[in-house]
Formats: sequence, C-alpha cells, structure tokens
Amino acid sequence: MRSAGPLGLLAVVVVLFAVASGGGAARAADDANALELAVKATFLFKFQPFVTWPAEAFASPAAPFTLCIVGNHPFGPLLDRVVEGQRALDRDVVVRRLATVSPDDHCQVLYVGAADPVSAKQLQAPVAGAPVLTVTDSIGDSDAKGMINFVIADNRVRFEIDDAAARRSGLVISSKLLSLALSVRSSP
Amino acid sequence: MKDEKSVSLAALAFAIVGFVTPADSASAQSVEQLRDLSIEQLANIEISSVSKSAEPLSDAPAAIYVISHDDIMRSGATTLPEILRMAPNLEVAQLNATSYAISARGFNVGDNASLSNKLLVLVDGRSIYTPLFGGVYWDMQGVPPEDIERIEVISGPGATLYGANAVNGVINIITRKSSDTQGGVLEVGGGNLARTASLQYGGQLAPDLTYRIHAEGSDYSSFQTPEGRDAHDGWSKPSGGFRVDWTPPGDVVSLQGDIFHAQEDPDGSVGGRDLVATWQHQLDGGSSLQLLAYYDKESRFNDNGAGGFEIDTYDIELQHSFNLGSWNAIVWGAGDRLFSYELENTALKLLPPTRTLNLANVFAQDTISVTDRLKLTFGLKIEDEPYTGVEPMPSVRASWKATDSILLWGAISRAVRSATPIDRDLHEFAGPIDYLDGSERFQPEILTSYELGTRVQASSRVSFSVSGFYNIYDDLRTIGLTASNPQGLPLFFNNQAAALVYGVEVWGNYSVADWWRLSAGFNIQHEHIHFQANGGLAGLDFVADDPNHQASLRSSVNLGDGVTWDATLRYVGALHHPALADYGELDMRLGWKVTPTIEVSVAGSNLLHDRHAEFFEDGESDEIPRSFFIDTRWRF
Repeated sequence: MRSAGPLGLLAVVVVLFAVASGGGAARAADDANALELAVKATFLFKFQPFVTWPAEAFASPAAPFTLCIVGNHPFGPLLDRVVEGQRALDRDVVVRRLATVSPDDHCQVLYVGAADPVSAKQLQAPVAGAPVLTVTDSIGDSDAKGMINFVIADNRVRFEIDDAAARRSGLVISSKLLSLALSVRSSP
Repeated sequence: MKDEKSVSLAALAFAIVGFVTPADSASAQSVEQLRDLSIEQLANIEISSVSKSAEPLSDAPAAIYVISHDDIMRSGATTLPEILRMAPNLEVAQLNATSYAISARGFNVGDNASLSNKLLVLVDGRSIYTPLFGGVYWDMQGVPPEDIERIEVISGPGATLYGANAVNGVINIITRKSSDTQGGVLEVGGGNLARTASLQYGGQLAPDLTYRIHAEGSDYSSFQTPEGRDAHDGWSKPSGGFRVDWTPPGDVVSLQGDIFHAQEDPDGSVGGRDLVATWQHQLDGGSSLQLLAYYDKESRFNDNGAGGFEIDTYDIELQHSFNLGSWNAIVWGAGDRLFSYELENTALKLLPPTRTLNLANVFAQDTISVTDRLKLTFGLKIEDEPYTGVEPMPSVRASWKATDSILLWGAISRAVRSATPIDRDLHEFAGPIDYLDGSERFQPEILTSYELGTRVQASSRVSFSVSGFYNIYDDLRTIGLTASNPQGLPLFFNNQAAALVYGVEVWGNYSVADWWRLSAGFNIQHEHIHFQANGGLAGLDFVADDPNHQASLRSSVNLGDGVTWDATLRYVGALHHPALADYGELDMRLGWKVTPTIEVSVAGSNLLHDRHAEFFEDGESDEIPRSFFIDTRWRF
C-alpha cells in the first residue's frame, strides 16, 4: 500500500491514455481543434476576392474555381461545407484532394498539408512559378513557406504573405489582404 | 497515515480527471456562420489555446520536453526553479527559501558546495553553472517569466553539441525577441511568501530595430525549521535588464544584458551582471554562421566577515551550419571560455585563491538523411579541460519516423563532468585542522549512456513520449583517507566510485476538449553506486539523493470569458540518503482577463499540507509552507 500514491497516479495516466487513444481514434472526424480548422478552411475560400489571377490560371473560361489540398488533409468535410452552393469569380467552386500537384491541375488555391519544412517545400515545388496561390500552415522556415502561411498569433488564426513570390507567379494580392497580414515579404 | 495520504492523492487525481467525458468539440460557430463573416472578423476569432493544433512532431533524437511561454504564464510560477517543476524529466527539490537542488536522471545533491554538478543550464547560450564546482546557484538566476519564449529540457547527455557538464541533462532557456514583447507591462503581486513588482516596456527604433527594458523587484519571506523556528532565510532581489534586436536582411543581431543584487538573510550579499551578444548571418545556399559572445560576473559574499568569491567569465562561440549534397546537414564550430575567480576569507579555501582557467572546444556533427524517414547523426566534441587536458565526447544518434506520427530514436554517447577548482584546489578547514582537500590526481567523471525512445502523435488530441536510459558512470567523485597520516587527515577527493543508473521517463498530453488539456508525466529509475577501496567515506549522501519515482498531472482549462483554471498535482517518491518521506502536493491558479489589457490571477502552491520537506541540506531540511499569491498585470 505504501506505493499506492505513484501507482495510483500511474494507473490514472494509463487509463487516461487508453481512453484518449481509443476515444481519439473514434472521434477522428470530430477533429482536435475544430474551430481552428474551420477558420482556416473558411480563409482558404475567402482569400479569393482579394487576389487577381491571370486568365491562364484557368483551363477555360467556364472552368470552375479550384481549391486543392496536397499532403495531409486535415479538414475532413469542413472545406466542402464551406464551399457548398458558393460561387467564386463567377465560377462554380470545387475542392480537389491531390496526392501530388502539377500546373495542369489548374488549382487557383493550393493548401499544402505538411507540418515540416522539407515536405512543405517538396509538395509545392511542382507549381513554383505557376499562377497558384500556395498556402502553408505554421511553417517556420522562410524558404518553405507558401505565398500565404497560416500562423497562430494571440490565440487567433493569422497569416504571413510573401508578396514577392505571388508577383513572380503572376498573382496580384490586394492591399487590403496585405494589411491584414502579420508580415509581408515584398522583396525577394 | 501513509495510506491515507496515498488514497487522498489518488482521489484528487481522479477528481481532476474525473469528468473525462468526450465533450463534443462543437463550438458556437458553424462553418456556415464563419463563411458569412468579413475577412477582418475571421482574423479576429479567438481559437482555444489549450488544445492548440498538434505541434509538428519534433525529429530531435533525444528526450526533450518543452515548456512553452503559455505554460509558464498559466503556471503562475515566479521563479525559474518553480517553472522547471513543469518538466517531468527533472528532479526539483527546494531546500530553503533561496536554494534548490535540481537534476535529471539521478545524482541530485544539495549539500553546500557540492550542488548537483552534472547539468548544463543555458540562458540564450550563456552558461549559468558556477565553474568553481559545476552547480547552479538558482537564487542568482532571474529571467522574467513574461520574457521566456520557451525552455527546452533535455534529459540525458548533450555533451556533443553543448559540451562540459551536459552529462545528465541540458536546460536551454530561450528568451523572447524584443519584437515579440512590444508595449508595456506593469505587474504587481503579493502573497504570504512572495511579493513582486515589475515594469517592462518594448518599443521600435526603426522597422528592423526593436528593444525592451525591464526592472523588477521581489521579496521572499523566511521559511521555518522543522522545530517551528524562523529559518532566517528570507531574501529580496531587485534586478533589471534590456534586449535589443536588429534584423537587417540576412542577419539577426541581438544584444542583451542583466544586472541584479540580492540581499539574503542572515548575511548574504549576492550579485551578478552579464552582457550577451549574438549574430546570425545567412550565407548563400542555405548555410549560416552564428557567433555568440558574452561576459558574466557573479559574486557571493557574507557581510558578516565569512568571506566570499567573485567570478568573471568571458566566452566566445562560433558555429557554422551547412548542407553537403542533399544528404548531409553539418554543424561545426569552436569556442573558448575564460574564467577567473577570486576567493576571500572563506572556510572553504582554494589554493591559489585567485586563478584564471581556460576551457576550449571544437566540435562537428553530421546528420545524414539515409532515407526521408531515417536519419543518423554522428557528432564529436573535443574539449581542452582546464585541469585534465583533452577529453573527447562522441555520440551517435538515430531517428526513424516510422509513420508521420511515430518517431523512434536511439543514442549512444559519452559525456564528461570536468574537474573543477573544488575537486583539485580545495583546502577545507575545521578550525585549524585541514580536513578535506582537493587532489591533483582528481580526474573528470565519465558517463557512457545508452538511450532509446519514442514520440507518438496518437491522434490530433493525444501525444506522448517514452524514453529509456541505461547510464554507466565511471570515476565518480568520492572522499578517501590519507594513508600516510594515522588520523587519515586530511581527507581528499578521489575517483573511487562507479554507478549504474537506468530508468524510464513517460509524459504525454491529452486534449480532452477544445477548452481542456491534461498533461501527465511519470518516471522511474534505479541507482546502483559501487564504492571502491578508499572511496566510501562520505557515503551515498554525498553523491546522490534521488527518488525512485515521480509523477505529475496537470489540468489546463479555459472556462471562457477570459477565465483560465490550472491545477498541477505532483508526487515525489521517498529519498534514501539521507531518508526523507515521499510527498504529494497540489498547485492551482485561476486567471481572469478582465479586459484585453488587464489580467488578475490568484494562485495557491503546496496546498495539501501546512508544510512539507523536499530535501536535506547540511543535515537539515527546512519546511516549505503552503502559499498564496495574487497577481495583477496591466498591458499598455
């Protein structure tokens, strides 16, 4: 009985993790920080009024506005719910989940689902220079960041903008969106 | 009595964990509602910080625990040792109002002049252990909690990168850039054991040039002896500092300085100041150069004529990182540390009393990406020790990312606890009799360590880490008799012990709901120390006094409307040499952001007992009382 204290605590810890792993897996859809993800998913759709794409960004005048996700897909059905019944730039909106991306996919927005800079860089490399608004998530390494990089600041979802990279790819980001960014990189 | 305590502890643990119901993470907003917001409104939605999205799984092949800025602010801890209690891979024991014994993986010692000496502690790269004997005076360290970005606590050897004394662990304290602490903060707090006040201001001189200045004062009440008498160990400490950061394109430059002077009852007068400069320069092709230089002065004197010492340290370190092909990430560098000390009138004498010593090093480390998922790291540091010459400290580490959410790692390393002036030059007198001496034959203490661990992101809500270690120590410091003298005096330091220490450290996080996170830690270790023929004189007390197990459970809750509630339960197993009973304690803090700029909090520490002891010092253990602290913080 002398060691009931630590064993008791250990038991609690073990039970906790058992509950957590089992429960956690069962609730995979009901993902961790649902609100954070929902805000990010909404941002992905809401960036478009503040960005001008060149005509060649679309496969045809009638082609839909295409939101792509490459790498990890953290949003579950959230992103589909965000765009359901919506139109963007006078086009229908579709969400595509890709294993790898190419310029021929004609994505207008590409969310790069990678937590580490090496994968983030690799995943977006095929569309370097193409008119695709690349969005990375909490990447710290400046060469691996997309044109937009989500960051959590002061408990809010905010973003950094690499305006130089956007311009090199033929995109124009409005000053309103730039003014909302935590930081803007404007020279290469 | 013992059973009652254990039961009540377990009950409390369950009370805290009790209502583990998979709360629906349903937040007020649906995506449809979010979609109707303007982009400004979207950028202003507060998300929960308790269950911030899964941090990228760190690839570091070591047992590393990170205490974040948020953890620190929510703990309500006002001193560094109290903050370090959050690391499940550390042993933290308070001796009295000013002193702590802190170690990792065993060998915790609190006896005067032989504090735990196998830990390396860095503040922004500045080493803060006392080179006289390798231990840290925790009362001389004060980084305002507000300004700490994070603390990386590595249990296990880190000698290849960090160098001497990184034997049992490394505590790496990283402060915030001044660009992250813009604006003013006024903090005033008080309680039955501590009173603090601080003022800080951060501003911008140019778009790429920011600064902050801060000043604070703290005052701590005296503890009581077990007999209920005043322990006369109260103290007060005014301090201040500044930091300037300059970030022209391609460079990061910072300059920071601190100064303090503490008055400690009954007669202690303790002071320190430092100036640290760092420069990071980005080179072409992704390589970078880093230069660190610092000056540090510390002094401890007894105002009542019992003497003291003063140490000046100068240090410079250069580091170059680059990639060789697509496989190799190489870091190499060199450094030199010069320290000179002067002792006056102390009972512990060093001969000569004034001396300048030099510690130089060169190191190189190559991380080879064998595949995308398998990395091997080979490293070697060679130090030129002040007393014993060249010591190699090699290590081999491997990490394998079995899946995106499972990392396995292992390491074999050799680390060295350098010989210090106390080991070599000591002459301790009892009245006229010279009874304990250092020895010119004293050699460094050597560790060979084998480690294996895993870090798992089981789901977006659950992550945990398990690390095992098997440590073999040789040439540990012991005390022997002088054979030629019939009384055996003076006793002298020798290297007559070896030890085997093995154990497991487990910790994890569980985000029960968006507003509730639980963190738990548990470790268990076995220490076997073998004394050789002429070494066992002072016995185990002198070498190590560690619990076999420790456990902790922390609950962090966002109650909404800016109210947060944190509770931490800890259990520390019994000590054996000398023996001290196990204990459990509970800390709690309730914080309320009244407005975006004003925060009020009330914290209680060691709530379960009126008083409890954590360690012995010189055969005595002061008792730590239950305490309360009310804090207010105004940002402007």
